Amino acid sequence: MNSQPHILVIDDEAQILRALRTILSSNQFKVTVASRGEEGLALAAAISPDLIILDLSLPDMDGVEVCERLREWTQVPIIILSVRESERDKVIALDKGADDYLTKPFGIEELLARIRVALRHSAQNLGSQKSQIITAGSIVIDLALHIVTRSGEEVKLTATEFKLVAYLAANAGRVLTNQSILSRVWDPADADRVEYLRVYIRQLRKKLEENPDHPRIICNEPGIGYRFMVDE
Amino acid sequence: MMRLNPFRKLRAIRGIEYLFAVLVTSLFTLIFIPFRPEGGQDYTILSLLYLLPVVLSSVVWGLRPGVLAAVASFLALNYFFIPPYYTLLVHHTQDLLVLIVFLGVSITIGQLVGRVSKSLAETTAREHEAIHLYELTMHLAGLQDEKAIVSALAEQTLITFHATRVEVLVETKGNTPAQIVRLEDRLQSGQQIVGIPSFITPLQSARGFLGEIKLWREPAVLTKAEERMLNTFASQGVSALERVRLSQAASRARLLEESDRFKSSLLSSVSHELRTPLATIKAAITSLRSKTVEWDTEARADLLAVVEEETDHLNQLVGNLLNMSRIEAGALKPQRSWNSLADIVNSAVERMHQQTERHYLEVDVSADLPLVPVDYLLIEQVFINLISNSTKYSAESTKIGITAHAVKDDQLHVMVQNQGPHVQEEHLERIFDKFYRVTAADRVTGAGLGLSICKGIVEAHGGRIWAENLTGGFAFNFTLPLRVEGFSLEVGIERVDE
Repeated sequence: MNSQPHILVIDDEAQILRALRTILSSNQFKVTVASRGEEGLALAAAISPDLIILDLSLPDMDGVEVCERLREWTQVPIIILSVRESERDKVIALDKGADDYLTKPFGIEELLARIRVALRHSAQNLGSQKSQIITAGSIVIDLALHIVTRSGEEVKLTATEFKLVAYLAANAGRVLTNQSILSRVWDPADADRVEYLRVYIRQLRKKLEENPDHPRIICNEPGIGYRFMVDE
Repeated sequence: MMRLNPFRKLRAIRGIEYLFAVLVTSLFTLIFIPFRPEGGQDYTILSLLYLLPVVLSSVVWGLRPGVLAAVASFLALNYFFIPPYYTLLVHHTQDLLVLIVFLGVSITIGQLVGRVSKSLAETTAREHEAIHLYELTMHLAGLQDEKAIVSALAEQTLITFHATRVEVLVETKGNTPAQIVRLEDRLQSGQQIVGIPSFITPLQSARGFLGEIKLWREPAVLTKAEERMLNTFASQGVSALERVRLSQAASRARLLEESDRFKSSLLSSVSHELRTPLATIKAAITSLRSKTVEWDTEARADLLAVVEEETDHLNQLVGNLLNMSRIEAGALKPQRSWNSLADIVNSAVERMHQQTERHYLEVDVSADLPLVPVDYLLIEQVFINLISNSTKYSAESTKIGITAHAVKDDQLHVMVQNQGPHVQEEHLERIFDKFYRVTAADRVTGAGLGLSICKGIVEAHGGRIWAENLTGGFAFNFTLPLRVEGFSLEVGIERVDE
């Protein structure tokens, strides 16, 4: 990664482009903008950005389609930025390859945090040397040894609980849809059994969170799924 | 007219009653012959007895058969009882006188009796007519539904006219098919019904053709009175149909008016609501951009915080408007999935953290509550609106509490309480109405939509929402069913391997 990550913003709203260009530039990012889907796809191929911020409503094509076509050849992190706030829209975009989703209006701090997470994640992927040890507060998860400790003491987890926390932690910082978690940790046939997930998340929180009623590690993404929060 | 009349069918043959009149006279003659006074001259008693067939015929068959019977009796009296027998000749002027008087008297009696019985029959017919009309109007009176009116009309027509089959057809507006009710008399259904109806009466209103009554009957004859009655039936049906249509039109107009009023109050309330935060944002931003004033860091941060808060307000308002229009359009369908109420409350509280800064928020919603099949975002909206309402109506630095517990394993009961003022009992239900406010609109911000959206969402989930005054506060309550068709819970829990 160069010292100045390159971000491609694809959005048809001139004012948003203007604001994002100013804000991101002043946060030490290099910014290129596109206002149409085709233009965005061409630019993505030409400049090889480190991250793409994508709107779903574009004049020439749907953002989900842009997402799909990008995923045919690149694993560049994609953050969706859209006014569409229904769970369905979010889940579709995430399932089609987007890494994260933020609804407009958004706070810039949140966007910057998501950008950092996505960049770090892709850096790890590039290095192909995935971190085997993940730290979140007092929790340390060793993916290789299958050990989870809390303030140095081992936490006893069932097989499914470990599979679940391992999958979440391996994708730390990213939002994971209920369906993707269920099909990875359980079985693709169980993708709709959200109740399994809810019950196991509750158990995990009891074992890992300081206050299970106010989780800080395994956070909700309302209506979408969960996000495992790690130390920045 | 359910009276059984054995002559009903025969009556249809024209002139049969004249034959009956003659037959009756002959019958009486046969009875009288054995009592013929042999050689005696006294047949005046017979002339009296011969009034019997005349009166009988007049009563049973009416005026003309009565007169015929009079003539027949006159002839029979002359032929069989006045010497010389078996001739129409009369020897004595006295006999001739008797015969003439008899003829005159019997014709007069026949006429009188016939008239009386005719007018009696007419009166009875009128009475029946009145009864049937009364029954029809009674049946039609309370009906508010076109289909029911058409059925009642068909039924009454079938009974009244002894029809084998009745068909009432009412045309409806637009592309919807016409209402048709067919009724057949089960007692007479042995007969095959021919395609062409015996009578067709249009249902004609002042504003045009509404439909028609088709009547099948054997024989295919209607008396004047029946024809008149059929027309009256038709006009009764028309007025009932028109009454229903008018009241439907009136309620449609009322609905339109209501939705019109909704739109205009929405517009006025929304434009006010949209402008207020926009004005604040504009004022803050222009001040910050102004080159004449040097803002210190604190003032700057303050102005910017105002901008952020007002932006959130605007966003919340737009969300509420969207939900309101969905509820209004009946398009609010919860996307249910198993959720933890604690999660929902937490994200609502997180979203509201800025608005609740000046209150103490106490949340007691256990993560161990049973999972509930609800739409996460919609129920989150309910909490956001209830919390928002609580912050608006209760004083700063007071407590807002959120509690939830399971009731009888089949529902969750949620309470959002604050230490705000009481609401008069009679307003408690109405605060969930659109645009309804207990306080004057300019004292509190909001479009008056929040609570009605809560009601819409909770009810779409099959729950119930209500408000109550507490000692030292006010509370919103709502329930959410835990058991919903198509959502079953089956989670096996593993044990930790020690």
